Amino acid sequence: MVTDLVTLLPELILAALVLVIITVDLFLPRQQKWLLTPLTVAGLVLAGAACVVVWDINETVYSGFYVVDDLSVFLKGATILIGILSTLFAPSYLRIRRIPLGEFNTILVSALIGMCVLASSSDFITLFIGLELMTMPSYLLTGLHKTDRYSNEGGLKYFLLGSFASAIVLFGVAWVYGLTGSTNVAEVAAALEGQMSGALLVAIGFLTVGATFKIAAVPFHYWTPDAYQGAPTPITGFLSVGPKLGAFALLIRVFAEAFEPLRADWLGVFLILTVLTMTVGNVVALVQTNVKRMLAYSSIAHTGYIMAGLAAFAATDDPDVAAQGIESVLFYVLGYGVMNIAAFAVVAMLQRDTNRYGGLNSFAGLAGRAPFQAGAMAILMLSLTGIPPTVGFFAKLYVLLATVDAGLEWLAVIIVVNAALAAFYYLRVIVYMYMRDPEPEPAPLDSSPSGSLALVLSVAGVLLLGIFPGAVLGLLEVSAASLF
Amino acid sequence: MTQLPTLSLIVFTPLIGVLLLLFVPGGNHRLIRWVALLASLVSFAFSLMLVGYDPAGAEFQFREDLPWIEAFGMRYTLGVDGLSAVLVLLTTLLSAISIFYSWEPIQKRVKEYYIALLLLMVGMLGVFVSLDLFLFYVFWEISLIPMYLVIGIWGGPRRIYATVKFVIYTLVGSLLMLVAILAVAIAHGNDTGTFTFAYEQLRGHSFADALQALAFIAFFLAFAVKVPLWPLHTWLPDAHVEAPTAGSIILAGVLLKLGGYGFLRFSIPLLPDASVSFAPIIIGLSVIAILYGALVSMVQPDLKKLIAYSSVSHMGFVMLGAFVFNEQGLQGAAFTMVSHGITTGALFLLVGIIYDQTHDRQIAHMGGLGGRVPHYAAVFGLFTFASIGLPGLSGFIGEFLVILGAFRFNGLVAGITMLVVIASAVYMLWMFQRVFFTVPSDWMRRWWPSLRDMSRNEWIALTPLIVLVVALGVYPGPVLELFAAPVERIIDAVNGAGVGLGPLW
Repeated sequence: MVTDLVTLLPELILAALVLVIITVDLFLPRQQKWLLTPLTVAGLVLAGAACVVVWDINETVYSGFYVVDDLSVFLKGATILIGILSTLFAPSYLRIRRIPLGEFNTILVSALIGMCVLASSSDFITLFIGLELMTMPSYLLTGLHKTDRYSNEGGLKYFLLGSFASAIVLFGVAWVYGLTGSTNVAEVAAALEGQMSGALLVAIGFLTVGATFKIAAVPFHYWTPDAYQGAPTPITGFLSVGPKLGAFALLIRVFAEAFEPLRADWLGVFLILTVLTMTVGNVVALVQTNVKRMLAYSSIAHTGYIMAGLAAFAATDDPDVAAQGIESVLFYVLGYGVMNIAAFAVVAMLQRDTNRYGGLNSFAGLAGRAPFQAGAMAILMLSLTGIPPTVGFFAKLYVLLATVDAGLEWLAVIIVVNAALAAFYYLRVIVYMYMRDPEPEPAPLDSSPSGSLALVLSVAGVLLLGIFPGAVLGLLEVSAASLF
Repeated sequence: MTQLPTLSLIVFTPLIGVLLLLFVPGGNHRLIRWVALLASLVSFAFSLMLVGYDPAGAEFQFREDLPWIEAFGMRYTLGVDGLSAVLVLLTTLLSAISIFYSWEPIQKRVKEYYIALLLLMVGMLGVFVSLDLFLFYVFWEISLIPMYLVIGIWGGPRRIYATVKFVIYTLVGSLLMLVAILAVAIAHGNDTGTFTFAYEQLRGHSFADALQALAFIAFFLAFAVKVPLWPLHTWLPDAHVEAPTAGSIILAGVLLKLGGYGFLRFSIPLLPDASVSFAPIIIGLSVIAILYGALVSMVQPDLKKLIAYSSVSHMGFVMLGAFVFNEQGLQGAAFTMVSHGITTGALFLLVGIIYDQTHDRQIAHMGGLGGRVPHYAAVFGLFTFASIGLPGLSGFIGEFLVILGAFRFNGLVAGITMLVVIASAVYMLWMFQRVFFTVPSDWMRRWWPSLRDMSRNEWIALTPLIVLVVALGVYPGPVLELFAAPVERIIDAVNGAGVGLGPLW
């Protein structure tokens, strides 16, 4: 029993952190609320260290409800990293808008717990609990700016559509249970070996719709732009990567594990969704003049690239290539997480002037006024485009490698055409920052020490992972191997 | 490794310059310029060590080989053969000259400017020395962004349109090439069991016909956009007209050569069957490019645009020479790349000199300059003749060899090409006449009192190019000797391919 508790160490630390933040927040005077940020970061770092402890355990605990394999630990580590960056980026934005820091940190860490549970679930019941534990705080975060009507609108939309999707997922789970008599992922997989029936198709259909809603794949993406634009910007950064990471954990558990025997059957639908997602996301992002909205749509496109990794997994019979598909998903989620949160953070720094609200013109001439932030943003944009030597490039390369290896060359070509399309709108930000003269009254820039620190860390990470990805590749290989 | 990593030093010295520049305050223009110039000169000095390349020795010399991303078989492999050694020298020389020349004209965002130029140098040099396809691709992409910034920040009025066009064209091509590189490496891995991007290992492998055809098209798009081959050339005049002088020098002098080099180094040896099969199409396009570039040059009112279109024509020679697959043609292609780099680089520099004084490049706005600035006119004349291909200057050797090679391939192709040489004399000489002879235009008269002849710095920048253009024209032997072995290898690869691809469909 004690060992069972040890396997839960990261989650336990996060749960304790939630309580500590609430308590400390009560007793801190207003001027010292900033202490919550270092406190939260310290707690998250501790949880990250706990991930190292549970690495290489590979055990299924709690009567098969919970699995602590390397895949889940990797995802937890990525989750906590995203949490740390979000915590560091948020304070300056929140302080100016009088959004309470304590509430933000509490809700954020709660969402992280949900993501960790999701990553570790080996049973559909745990999976659903993790999903709800992740998305409930996400709704709250979206509507956290109580006095802003866009934030309210975004929160409400996200909540309504999100709970609908959760219900669909649950319904799919019910069908799976009805057909296989089990909710355990491994048992479901065993029961489904070599079977395909109309009823199963319904179950897969429901789960696909629900899950693709959560990752915001086309055509289930309509909630994203409003929710992303309404949410306070640092939170948008978190929402665009955090819940997405969780949802991909869900996709891997459901489709790559439970429905693994049927992968030839769900591959077709997945390919269509993949192509639609990246193309629609890019085309719509192309016409946005608001950087925040542009990043929101482009995050849809990136979802498409990540799905391509999963498609590669399904398209091949060679276990090595299949593992490569999963590895590419993991690497992309991690790399995308770091670069996108940082990009949203730079947008957030320029949003005090609510008239412009992160429009492209608030970036005009930024290079002259704030060379550090502009340089960081430029590197992030290049990384999102996929130009070497950045992590964004290597992530795309990984996906391309997996797709070509799996015999999906045409998909690889669609991916690169999309990437070239994306260059157009990402580079436009650089055009505004470096090639346009500043406006007569440039948008004010909010920076804080914690935000600058996080920006330096993310950019360093983006470059280092781009030049020397070898450090992570080993971890990825071990993580993905736990599926096979 | 006991021996000095010469190539790494050449490639990364500019990067060290960039890192130093990050710590120099942005207002201290003097120091910034010195750091940048010094970095490029040190890189040039290191590249002079490549003169020690032994044409009789191993194919790739100055090799460096380190593991990089072992999980994917990507290695940090550098090495030069005769072709790349010459191009590296050309790159470091032209980069140093453009950094030196930018001293006066660039007064805006000086620090960022030199950082961009030095990064560009890293990318271009890396392309020429990479022997790992993946490493090559990384450098290839790295060279894209600084050029984008150089045109976009320091360019003329329509710079943003021009630079976005430049990037999108290049990026589409190069991303498709990335897929092709992966496909080739994976196919090789599946066939042999070793997954690698090493050029030397991939080169000897015979790939399936369909893969060769598709990969060739992808490589072709990437390289042909850079060359640029008609009809993919339309970004070039825009980019040139808007780019600052130093940008034009590097663009014409080196960046276009990346495309030609790509064909010679990668497309043909890796995919010989497809190369043989596609050669007629490419030869056709090259002849059109030669013809089209020359004809369009005739009617250009803008000096820079004229030289830009003439580049389309000259690079058409390179492509023609490369794809007739005989010794003369390939030698001529390689030589034309070098000669065009020197000549066109110098011409853009010369146009820049007059533009900095009058802020105008319209040929109709000039006239009579020969009497006012005789030294300038003389130097301009020298490079005009080099561009036309006057015997005794470097341009002649390359074009002559290409036409010779074309003759061995097909008399008609050679005949058309020969006629174009006359056309090139027409547009260059007509331009020269309108700029330097005749009576000065009213516009030019306004600047008349303030016009000055070549300054000391301009002489310093141009002297190496003048020496080279004459030296290569009179005594091309050593360079051709360096090209001999690489050319022979290409021909061997092509001959090994025989008749090319089987029926694909």
